[in-house]
Amino acid sequence: MKSVVISVAVAAVLAGLPFLLRKPFLTHVGIMIALYITLALSMNLMLRIGQISFAHGAFMGLGAYGSALLMMRLGLPFPAAFLGAALGVTVVAWLVGLIFLRIKGVYFVLLTFSFNAFVVLLFIEWVSIFGGSNGLANVPPPGWFGYQIQSRNEFYLLAFGLAIFAYSSVRAIYRSELGAVITSLDENEALTRSLGIDSRQYRLLTFCFSAFLAALAGALYGHYLTLVTPDDYGFSVSVNLVVMNVIGGVAHPIGVVLGAFLLVILPEFLRDAKQYQGLLYGILLTVFLMFMPEGLYGAMQRLRRKKEACLSG
Amino acid sequence: MLHLATQIVINGLASSLVYILMALGFTLIFGIMRIVNFAHGELYMVASFLVYFFFGSLGWNYYLVVILAAVSVGLFGAGLERVLLRPFIGRELNGMIMALAISMSLQSAAFILFGPDEHSVPRPISGVIQLGAIVVPLDRLAVGIITLLILGVFYLFMRYSKLGLAMRAVVQDEEIASIHGVRPKVIHPLAFGLGSMLAGFAGALMAPIYTIYPYMGYQPMLKAFIVVILGGLGSIPGAVLGGVVLGLTESVFATLISTTIATMISFGIIILILLVKPTGLLGRPSR
Repeated sequence: MKSVVISVAVAAVLAGLPFLLRKPFLTHVGIMIALYITLALSMNLMLRIGQISFAHGAFMGLGAYGSALLMMRLGLPFPAAFLGAALGVTVVAWLVGLIFLRIKGVYFVLLTFSFNAFVVLLFIEWVSIFGGSNGLANVPPPGWFGYQIQSRNEFYLLAFGLAIFAYSSVRAIYRSELGAVITSLDENEALTRSLGIDSRQYRLLTFCFSAFLAALAGALYGHYLTLVTPDDYGFSVSVNLVVMNVIGGVAHPIGVVLGAFLLVILPEFLRDAKQYQGLLYGILLTVFLMFMPEGLYGAMQRLRRKKEACLSG
Repeated sequence: MLHLATQIVINGLASSLVYILMALGFTLIFGIMRIVNFAHGELYMVASFLVYFFFGSLGWNYYLVVILAAVSVGLFGAGLERVLLRPFIGRELNGMIMALAISMSLQSAAFILFGPDEHSVPRPISGVIQLGAIVVPLDRLAVGIITLLILGVFYLFMRYSKLGLAMRAVVQDEEIASIHGVRPKVIHPLAFGLGSMLAGFAGALMAPIYTIYPYMGYQPMLKAFIVVILGGLGSIPGAVLGGVVLGLTESVFATLISTTIATMISFGIIILILLVKPTGLLGRPSR
């Protein structure tokens, strides 16, 4: 009960932050953090089953294009476009997952990589729908029942709500029996299968939900920027999400949140030296893999355990 | 009609050879170390920049620079294996992420050193051979001949040398190979170095044909991935077959429709092949 009260209090403070600070730039950073928390969590689901998906840029992009097009072309209201696009992407993930997940391991990585390249080419080539290299401009803002989001602060609340939804659903999955099955797929698949569990179905389910989350975040990202271009949804999206996971720690969703938070903020300090960002990511990743493979969350856990051992002994 | 078909085949084989060069190194590294080398495209890029520097700026002999670049990239690869990748043998996921880290660092380093601009170097050979209606650019012909030479030497090395035999044994079963005295500590850096050298040759040979910039490794790596999926991961003959299949299909659709459509269609072909044979044309089921 106590933890619930604390969680609600923390959420309330975080939600109110932009209204207190009144700094538009910080609100922008907050929106990006919330979106990347959702995306990094969706990648965390994949890493849990021992697979890296390089198609997450494509899922994000399909969500962004989908939601924008459903509003602009078909005149659907935002909630329908937003959810409809994400569900559409989930169906796409299910279809490609049926083929890509037939064999475990490296093929999946290579296939998702080529799938992402294919989708980006589709965005560029199919000009009549996706608008080519220029993409879609003037994407309408979110709104419902006559109400329209206009300020950044309102947008922040929406993105924050999405991040909370992603966090609590991923957390709930890991705590449930489903989570135990998912984790076991990476650790000892043969044993899991011997219990009569159809491992492929579970992997497919995880992949679909992961794509669903990525599409939701992508759709919101498109409405926020009011511009959807193919460049934003390349291979590097997935790479950044993997970096966030490794640095924050894969073992617990809170580590992922930490990783997303740090890696959204870090480049803001490097504004004048954008070319150093890749080098910094590369070096950070190398150092963490070599010396702290459990990420910041793992390091904190170890520290806490040491402290407890000191106190008790 | 016959002219067109011949032209398509010639163009297709010209790209095939370079795809094979890239895919062969990638598949060799995977087959032996079980590491997905996401830095393979960056090894290609590094070799191109070496050509840009030594041939383009300093004006050294081009062919000498090709060998220099490929050998340097090979040694660099062996060094990467020793320092950064060896701790991750047997841990596929983390090995892959480490290769990503290397890829990002190399791209960024090239960006810092040379800027984001596209550079080019003069072509060491220019002109075309015309046989009736069929046109063959001389520089592509030279690249083709040199690549065939490299592939021939590679084949002889893998087929007849003791180290080649040892490598093939490790691809089949590392444990049994080590019982017979094959030492992974020798084979791993050798395979990574050799695979890197092949990527280096590809990068150095293509440098005068395409432009040189920090992110140039993405396309050849994507092609290598497609070839490897087509042919079967870890299979050396599969890489050759996959390269030919990809080069020819691309050439057909690039000539008839456009290059981007050709790339998209190659993805469709992957899906088709996977539906029929999930481990690629010549692949074995994974262990």
